[in-house]
Amino acid sequence: MTEMITVKELNKSFGEVRAVRGISFSVAQGEIFGFLGPNGAGKTTTISMLSGLLRPDSGSITIDGMDMASRGRDIRRIMGVIPQEIALYDELSGRDNLLFWGGLYGLAGGDLRDQVDRALELVELTDRAKDAVRTYSGGMKRRINLCAGLVHSPKIILLDEPTLGIDPQARIRILEVVKGLASEGRTVIYTTHYLEEAEQLCDRIAIIDEGTVHASGTLAELVELVGGKVMVSVTGDFSADEAKQVLGEAEFDHISDGELRVKLLDRDQTGRLLGGLFSAGLHVDGVAIREPSLESVFLQVTGRELRD
Amino acid sequence: MKAILGILANDIRRRLKNPLSVILMLLIPVTMTLITGLVFGPEGNVDMPKIKVLLVDNDGGFFGGLLKQGMQQGELGDMLDITEVTAAEGEEMMSGGDASALIEIPEGFTANVLDGKPAEIRLVKNPSETFLPIVVEEITKTMAVLLDGGTRIFNAPMSKMRSIVDQENWPAVSDMEEVMDGAKNGVILTYGYIADSLITFTDEVAALPDSVAAVDDPVVKDFNIFAYVMPGSMMIGLLFIVELVLRGLLRERKAGTLRRMLAAPVTTGQAVAGKVGAAFAITLISSLILLAVSRLGFGVDLGDPLALFLQTVATILMCTGIITFLYGAISGERAADAVMSVMIIVMALFGGSMVPSEQMPPALQAAGRFSPVFWAADGMKKIFLLDAGVSDIRIHLLVLFLLGVLTIIPGALLIRARIAKGGW
Repeated sequence: MTEMITVKELNKSFGEVRAVRGISFSVAQGEIFGFLGPNGAGKTTTISMLSGLLRPDSGSITIDGMDMASRGRDIRRIMGVIPQEIALYDELSGRDNLLFWGGLYGLAGGDLRDQVDRALELVELTDRAKDAVRTYSGGMKRRINLCAGLVHSPKIILLDEPTLGIDPQARIRILEVVKGLASEGRTVIYTTHYLEEAEQLCDRIAIIDEGTVHASGTLAELVELVGGKVMVSVTGDFSADEAKQVLGEAEFDHISDGELRVKLLDRDQTGRLLGGLFSAGLHVDGVAIREPSLESVFLQVTGRELRD
Repeated sequence: MKAILGILANDIRRRLKNPLSVILMLLIPVTMTLITGLVFGPEGNVDMPKIKVLLVDNDGGFFGGLLKQGMQQGELGDMLDITEVTAAEGEEMMSGGDASALIEIPEGFTANVLDGKPAEIRLVKNPSETFLPIVVEEITKTMAVLLDGGTRIFNAPMSKMRSIVDQENWPAVSDMEEVMDGAKNGVILTYGYIADSLITFTDEVAALPDSVAAVDDPVVKDFNIFAYVMPGSMMIGLLFIVELVLRGLLRERKAGTLRRMLAAPVTTGQAVAGKVGAAFAITLISSLILLAVSRLGFGVDLGDPLALFLQTVATILMCTGIITFLYGAISGERAADAVMSVMIIVMALFGGSMVPSEQMPPALQAAGRFSPVFWAADGMKKIFLLDAGVSDIRIHLLVLFLLGVLTIIPGALLIRARIAKGGW
């Protein structure tokens, strides 16, 4: 597949804060590439550099064979950016908004009107197109916000948490649209802090935290990183030494007084693990079993849960 | 260019969809002009009721009569309603609040004046009123000063007159010649002072302030107070409209639309140019509305079309430039909140928007020349009131165009730099 986006050793600091630290990745045409990470992880800073809004301190960005540093304007012409916030004019209708944003990308006349109609159909807002955006529901605003980044039919689409704070129905619709865009051969970069979105949508995922990509690959590749094993977390009234003595050869992911995480080949082994603890007279308060998933991968590679 | 025009047109469309804030700004000058017109009347005259004054003449002599007649004739007669009463009636009416003031001419007033002795006029003011008794007090003081000056200058003939008055027989021709000769010298000496009335209320004084009268060979129109007030008050509205539109840049940054715009193939310079252009265009449209209101609502003669067009364009350019520059200099919305309104009010105040500069003390008038508002308002006044042409307002146009160009370009560059740095 043709490589559409290549990013090498990207760095960006704001004063003393290093927002992005040496990020490198590449995205092929028609691929949905996800950035998964908590708030403040560096996702939006990365998107801003990819969309030409921020100049990196160092590193390079090549998009569709063009270097961002020298051909930023040409790159922006083939790129659609859907920002995290609802960046629309409230007092204008959905249609007028799209006409304005499409016009900025050089569309005009009948071509512009056709593209606007097509984009409105895509997000199922044709019947509300003439209403002022301020009268829309949260989900509708999100959809028209998405639309404004697609009206000029970009080859590359950058979506920065496009489903933030909306109802499940609207979220499903947006995810369907994004999948549809990729199936048309468009390249998508999608940032999110929702694990399930990344799992469902993305062909490949980069786990980002504190400005660094900790791991990247397909979901299967990432799960393989944790050995495809079940993670069992146990909390209770025991010391780390007592637990180690009882569980002996278990594969510990983490162990401390009152808390341990053990990797098991399958969840059926959980009973034997707990039996050992009980028979040693150790007090157990809680047990959590986590199947191999993006969540456990995140925990594994960043050392913390995404919701932290 | 297409991107700039697109941004400009979009801003105008947005204002048309939500015009309330601009309408409110337009109401500032219209209301100011209307209120001034209602207070002073279309010709600029105050239609005041006569001031009721009670006069107690205990003297009954020549000078008491002179004072009484002086206050009942000419402009003072139009202003004062003199009722002659006895002392008792006067006290009673004053205690009932029936008059603004009571003037009492004491017994022997004429004799004292003729003898060169101190003579006192008693004034009783109504304590429940503030302004009108002060007017009476000032008039009485002025008349007392006039009388006092007169008696000093005409001291010699008056002494002679005293003896003539005291005679029982018809005065001799030689005595009268002596009096007239003495009086003639006094008149020659004081001619320069007494020839012009000290109290005048003529239209020309109010209608033709110094700066307006500077127009070469002016065509003086009928004075219209609205034409006098509108140019200054218009400036406040226009400055606030430019400020309102340019503040949109800060709001767009907050809302994310500015980022989205810059993610399109639009340069920061184009985005800023579009916004500044929109501020110019929206303010120009607003000024056209204000001119239409001036003509149709207030009957203002808009004067020479070319001069009006150039003065309007130059004014809007100056307003846009000054506010653009200020926005380039400030660091964000909180700074704008703190600075913008104050700057506009100060410029408007010194430039004669609230109090016409002609009515200010000389020092403030001189300071006002440093306010761009002065050049805008004064030029417009000349067009409205004196039918000034382009050549009559050439200095105004030059100052406004220069100010506009010298502020709009660095202002836009400063804003661009701030956006590019991710500031604001």
